[in-house]
Amino acid sequence: MLPGNPPEDLCRQTRRHFFSRCGLGLGGIALASLLGKSPLRAAAAADAPLANPLAPKPPQFAPKAKNVIFLFMAGGPSQLELFDYKPKLIDLNGQAVPDSLIAGKRFAFMDSSHGTKLLGTRREFKRHGRSGAWVSDLFPHTAKIVDDISIVKSCQATLFNHAPAKLFMNTGSGQFGRPSMGSWVNYGLGSECQDLPGFVVLQSGPRGPRGGAVNWGSGFLPTTYQGVPLRGGGDPILNLSSPAGITVERQRQTVDAIRDLNLKRAVATGDAEIHTRIAAYEMACRMQASAPDLIDLSKESAATLNLYGIEKNTPSFGRNCLLARRLVERGVRFVQLYHTNWDSHGGPGENLQGDFEKVCREVDQGQAALVQDLKDRGLLKDTLVVWGGEFGRTPMGENRDTTGRNHHIDAFTMWFAGGGTKAGVTIGETDELGFNAVADPFHVHDIHATLLHALGIEHTKLTFRFQGRDFRLTDVHGHVLHKLFA
Amino acid sequence: MPRRILPVPLAALVSLLVGPAVSAATAAPVDYTRDVKPIVTQHCVRCHGAAKQEAGLRMDTAEAILVGGDSGPLVKAGARDQSLLLKIIAGPHEDIPQMPYKRPPLGADEIAKLRAWVLAGAPAPEKEEPGVFVHWAFVPPQRPTPPEISNSQSAIRNPIDRFIVARLAQDGVAPAPEADPITLLRRASLDLTGLPPTPSETAAFLADRSPGGYERAVDRLLASPHYGERWARPWLDLARYGDSNGYSIDAPRQIWKYRDWVVAALNRDLPFDQFVIEQLAGDLLPAPTVDQRVATGFNRNTQINQEGGIDPEQFRIESVLDRVNTYGTAFLGLTVSCAQCHDHKFDPITQKEYYRLYAFFNNTVDDGHGKSNPGGTLDFRGELPPPDARQREIEETRAELERFLNTHGAAVTAWAAGLHQHEKNKLGATAREALGEPWEQLSLRHKRALYAAFPGATADFKNRNAQLTRLERNEAKPVSTLVMSELPAPRESFLFIKGDFTRRGETVAPGTPAVLPPLRAEKPNRLDLARWTMDPAHPLTARVAINRIWQQYFGRGLVETENDFGTQGEAPTHPELLDWLATEFVARGWSQKAMHRLIVTSATYRQSSRARPELELKDPINKYLSRQARLRLDAEIVRDVALAASGLLVPKLGGPPVYPPQPDGVMNLGQVKRDWRPSTGDDRYRRGLYTHLWRATPHPALAVFDGPDGFSACTRRLRSNTPLQALTLLNDAQFFEFAGALAKRVRAEVPAGLEAQLDHGFRLCLARAPEPAERARLADLYRQQHAAAAGDEAARQDAAWLIVARVLLNLDETITRE
Repeated sequence: MLPGNPPEDLCRQTRRHFFSRCGLGLGGIALASLLGKSPLRAAAAADAPLANPLAPKPPQFAPKAKNVIFLFMAGGPSQLELFDYKPKLIDLNGQAVPDSLIAGKRFAFMDSSHGTKLLGTRREFKRHGRSGAWVSDLFPHTAKIVDDISIVKSCQATLFNHAPAKLFMNTGSGQFGRPSMGSWVNYGLGSECQDLPGFVVLQSGPRGPRGGAVNWGSGFLPTTYQGVPLRGGGDPILNLSSPAGITVERQRQTVDAIRDLNLKRAVATGDAEIHTRIAAYEMACRMQASAPDLIDLSKESAATLNLYGIEKNTPSFGRNCLLARRLVERGVRFVQLYHTNWDSHGGPGENLQGDFEKVCREVDQGQAALVQDLKDRGLLKDTLVVWGGEFGRTPMGENRDTTGRNHHIDAFTMWFAGGGTKAGVTIGETDELGFNAVADPFHVHDIHATLLHALGIEHTKLTFRFQGRDFRLTDVHGHVLHKLFA
Repeated sequence: MPRRILPVPLAALVSLLVGPAVSAATAAPVDYTRDVKPIVTQHCVRCHGAAKQEAGLRMDTAEAILVGGDSGPLVKAGARDQSLLLKIIAGPHEDIPQMPYKRPPLGADEIAKLRAWVLAGAPAPEKEEPGVFVHWAFVPPQRPTPPEISNSQSAIRNPIDRFIVARLAQDGVAPAPEADPITLLRRASLDLTGLPPTPSETAAFLADRSPGGYERAVDRLLASPHYGERWARPWLDLARYGDSNGYSIDAPRQIWKYRDWVVAALNRDLPFDQFVIEQLAGDLLPAPTVDQRVATGFNRNTQINQEGGIDPEQFRIESVLDRVNTYGTAFLGLTVSCAQCHDHKFDPITQKEYYRLYAFFNNTVDDGHGKSNPGGTLDFRGELPPPDARQREIEETRAELERFLNTHGAAVTAWAAGLHQHEKNKLGATAREALGEPWEQLSLRHKRALYAAFPGATADFKNRNAQLTRLERNEAKPVSTLVMSELPAPRESFLFIKGDFTRRGETVAPGTPAVLPPLRAEKPNRLDLARWTMDPAHPLTARVAINRIWQQYFGRGLVETENDFGTQGEAPTHPELLDWLATEFVARGWSQKAMHRLIVTSATYRQSSRARPELELKDPINKYLSRQARLRLDAEIVRDVALAASGLLVPKLGGPPVYPPQPDGVMNLGQVKRDWRPSTGDDRYRRGLYTHLWRATPHPALAVFDGPDGFSACTRRLRSNTPLQALTLLNDAQFFEFAGALAKRVRAEVPAGLEAQLDHGFRLCLARAPEPAERARLADLYRQQHAAAAGDEAARQDAAWLIVARVLLNLDETITRE
C-alpha cells in the first residue's frame, strides 16, 4: 500500500504535530487573532501541507511522466476508418463474415438483424511521417504528428455496452463503486497544484458521457480524489464565484473570520480535522483566484489559438485541449477530456459519412495541436497523452438508415504520446479483417498498469483496503506494455 | 482501580474452537493457542490443513508445523531465528514465494508473535485438536454478563458502560468526563432527529433541573416524527435508494413510497425482524397489505439499463445479482459478491452457495429493460402528486391554447363539416372522433387534433402545440411504486461459470451457505429466507445491524469493517459488548428505539468529544472510546441544520421528491440532459432526505458532502473534508439564501443590541452562546462590514449581518456533531 490510509495517518500526524506546538491558551489565541498576527495562524499554515490529502507524494520509482491527459472519445471511435487500414476488408466488402470469427460471440444489439456482412472502409488511407504510420484522410492534422505518438492497434476491452464499458475503461470494473483512474493517481501521487483540483474533467460534444459522474468518481476512495468537472459555461467550477455583491475583499474577510473562529474551536476540541477544514477554505479561496485565470485565454498568442483552431471563446474540444495544456502547466495531475459522439451505428446523427466526418473534424486539430504545443513548450516529456474510447467498431457493417458499425471489443486503436513513450511507432497488429488482435494484445487492465507505470507506480502496489480486501485499479490483472516506452 | 476483566466469553469461545483450554488470560508472553494458532488458522490452513496440503505441508497443529513439509521443518532446532517459517513470512525465499501466497503479507504484530513463539522453541500444546478455524462471526452470540466494575470513579449508567470502562481499564485509562449539557442536547438532537435543538428546547432543557432531564429529552426526540427521517437515511443508503433508473439513460422512476414506508416504519418502531421481513418478502406474506408490498421496494432499487442494444436478460440478471450482493452486505455483513465468479477466496462461501442465494431472488416479474412487468408496479390510482410549478405551467399553457383554439372554433367546425369522406379518412384517429361533435363539447385533446389538421392552422399554433406536447412529456404521472412480485412458477436457476451469465453451469435450488445455521423448509422461497435471516439464533444479523447503529453514534463500529464480518474483516474491539448488544436487541423485541435509547443514555455516549492528547499514542484513533467523536454531519443534515437555523425549514413529512435549486448545468453532465426545475414554495425548503436523487447527476450540494449515489449498497459514508465543500457553503445560491434568512431572523427575533443578536445567531446554529472571544471576533467582523458597506443605515446593517450569518453557517462546528 503506497500512501497509507490517509485520513488516519493524517489525523495522527497533524494532531500530534498540533499538540506539540500549540500549547496556547484560548485567551492568547483570541488576542493574537484580534491583532491579526497569530502565531497559531503560522502554525496552521505550517500544518496545511500535512493536513492536505492532495499534498504531493513521492512515486515508487523514477517516473517517466508526471501528468496525464486522457482524451476520451466517448462512444467508441471506429479504428477502421481512422488508423487500422485493412485492404483485405475492402476486397471482401459485402461478403459474409467468416463464421469462425463470430461463432459464440456476443455483441450489442444482438436482438436485431443488423447484418454480418463485412464492411470495407471508404476512407483514403496514406502513410505519414518518417514513421510511415497509416492514418486516414479524416485526421489530416493528426497525420502530421504521427512521428510524436505511438499508435497501438491491439487494444481490447471486456464489456460492450456503453455505460458498463466506459466504467470499465475508467475504473477497471463494470461494477459501480470503484475509483476512477484519475482518483487512483491522485490518491497515489497527490497533486503538484494546490490551487486547483488534482483531477479535472472537461467535456465537449452534443451530450455528456453515459453514466455521468461515476466515470470520474472516487468510489471508495475519499471524495478529495474525485474528478472535478470544469464547466464550459458559467463558473468553471461549481460555486466558484462569490455570490452577487460579495467582493473579493468581503469574501476574504468572511473566510478570515471563519478561520479565526474555527481555530478557536480547534484549540477547544483538539480536533485536527478542523485544521483540514481551515486548509480547505484557504484552497477554496486560491481556487477562486486562480480558476478564472486558468480559463482566461486572452493572453494566449494568436498563433497558439490558431494552432488549436480556436476562433471564439465558446466551449469546444479544441478549447478544452488548450485548457488541458494550461492545467498540466499548473501542475494538475490528471486531466480528462470527453468528446461525444463516436457511436457510429449508422442511424440518424450517427452515420459513418457526414456525422463521422464531423466528429473527426471536431477533435482532429485540437488533439494534434495539443501534442505539438506540449512538445514545443517542453511539457510533452512529462505528460502522458492518451487517446481512445471505451471500445472500437466491428469490421462488419451494421444496417440502420445507413451502414454503420457495431461496438467491438476484440481489437481497437488507441494512441499515446509523451511521458516517456516512444515516438513514431505502431504497436500491435490485428488480423487481416481487423477483427482480433494478433500481436501485443493490450487489454484495458494493461492500459491501466502501463499508465501507472509511466507515473512511477507499480500497479500491484497501489492499493486501498476496503471491505477487508486490498483493491487495485487493475484488480488482479494488468501487465505493463514495456514496448511502449522509449 | 477497577478489577481487571477477563474477556470470558471470547476465551471460552477460543478454547471451544481450538482445543485444550489455555485461558486467554494466561500471562505468558506468547501463547501458541491464544496468539499463534489463530494467525496460522486464518492465514495458512486453507492450503496447509486437512483439506489441502500444498507442498506436503500441514499447519493445523503445532506438531505438524514442527514436522514441516517438502521443504523440511519450518522451525530450525539450532538457529531458531534462521527458521524457514520466519523467512517465508518476511519475504520470498529461494524457491518459495512470500507467504501467505498471493495475499497481503502478515502484519508486523502477527509476524512478531510467530517470531516470539519460534524463538521460544515453538512449544506445542499436548493433545492438540487440528485447527479448523471457525470464524467468530459464524458462531451465534452468547449473552455475556456485563463486567462488574467496582470502586470506579467513572459513571456507569447502563451495561454498555461496564464493557467500555472494563476495556479502558485494561490500559489504565478512565473515560472522558460528560460533555456539557448543551453539547449533549445538540448531539442527541442531531443524532436522533437530524435537526439542531431550537433555542427554546435548549432553554427548557437547561431549566429542567430534576433528575432524568436528559432521558426525558431523549424520549421526546425519539417520539418526534423527525426521528424516522433521520434514521431512514442510513437505511436508504443500504437500500441503494434513488429516484432514477441509473446507467446511462437515467430516466426518472417513482419509488418514493418505499422511502416514506421506511420513515413511517421507523417512527412506529416496527420491530426490526418484521421491518426486514417485509422489505425482503412482504409480497409473500399471507394476504399482504399495501404497505407490506410497498416495503419490497427495497429490492427494486436496482438500476435499469435503458440503453439501446442491450440484451434485456443480461440486465435482468444484473439486477438479481445486485439483490444477492445487497442482501449479503446489508444483512449478513459479508462480501458474498466475491463468490459470484468463484468460491470466496477467504470466507466459507462457495460459488454454488452464491447461486443458491441467487435462486431466491430470481423469480420476480421485473425484466431487464424496465419495460413490461405487470405486477412489478403498484399503482395508487387517483393519487396525484401535489401540483408543482411544472404542473401549473402545463395547466396554464393548456388554458391559453384552449382560449386560442376557441377563437377559431366556428371556422374549424365549418371546415370539418365540408369534408368529403375520403378526406375524413385521411385524418388521424383523434381528429376523426371529433367530427360532427359540437365544438363546445370537444375535449382539448380533440380540439388540438382537429385544428392541427385544419388548413388554416397557424405557425403560432404549431409552436404552442409543440410546447405543450413537450411539457406534457414531463407531466406528473399517477403515483406508483416499484415492488417485488413473484412469478407463478420459479425460474430455473443456474450457476454461472466465472460469473458469466452466458455460461450456465449446474442447476441450483434455493438455499443458504452451509457455514450458517440450516434453513429448514421443504421448498424455501424468499419469505423463508427472510425469516431465516431474522431468526434470533442467526449469528450475523443482529450483530451486523446493531454494529451499524453503533457506528452512527461513534463514527466507527465495534467491528470497524461494518460491511465485512468475514475473516478479512477487523475483529471487534469489544466482542462481548457486541454480543451483549446483539442479544439485547433480540431480547427487547427487536425494538430499534429501545436500542437507540440504550446507547444515547449510556455514559459512554455522553462523554465529551474533546481530544485527549495524553492518549494520542496509546489509542490514536480512539478505538476503545475513551471519549466521544466529533463527526461532520451527513450531507442531508448539513442542509437541514442551515435550514433549521435560518428558520426556512418546512418540516413536512414524505411525498414525492423535491427539487431545491442547484447551479445551472449540473444536469448536462449525464448522457441525457434532464430538466431540473427548482421547486417553488414549501418544497424549496424541505429536508435533504427529500431531494430528488438522479443517480447520474446527484444534487451537487449533497454529493460534495459524500451523499450516496444509489448505485450500490452503502454501509458507511466517508467523511471527506474538501475545498469544494467550502465553495458550496460559501457560494452556493441556496446557502447564500439561508444566510440571508438567518440574518433577517436574528434581527426580527432580537430587534436591538448587537451582542444579544450575535448570541442569538450563534445559538440558532450551535445551540450554545459564544464565548467572549468568539463574540468579540464576530462583533469586529460586524463593525468592519458595517463600516465598509454602502447605503443607508438599514442597508449597512443588512450587508453586515449577511456576512455574519454566512460566517455562522460556515463554521466547522455548525456542520459537526460534537
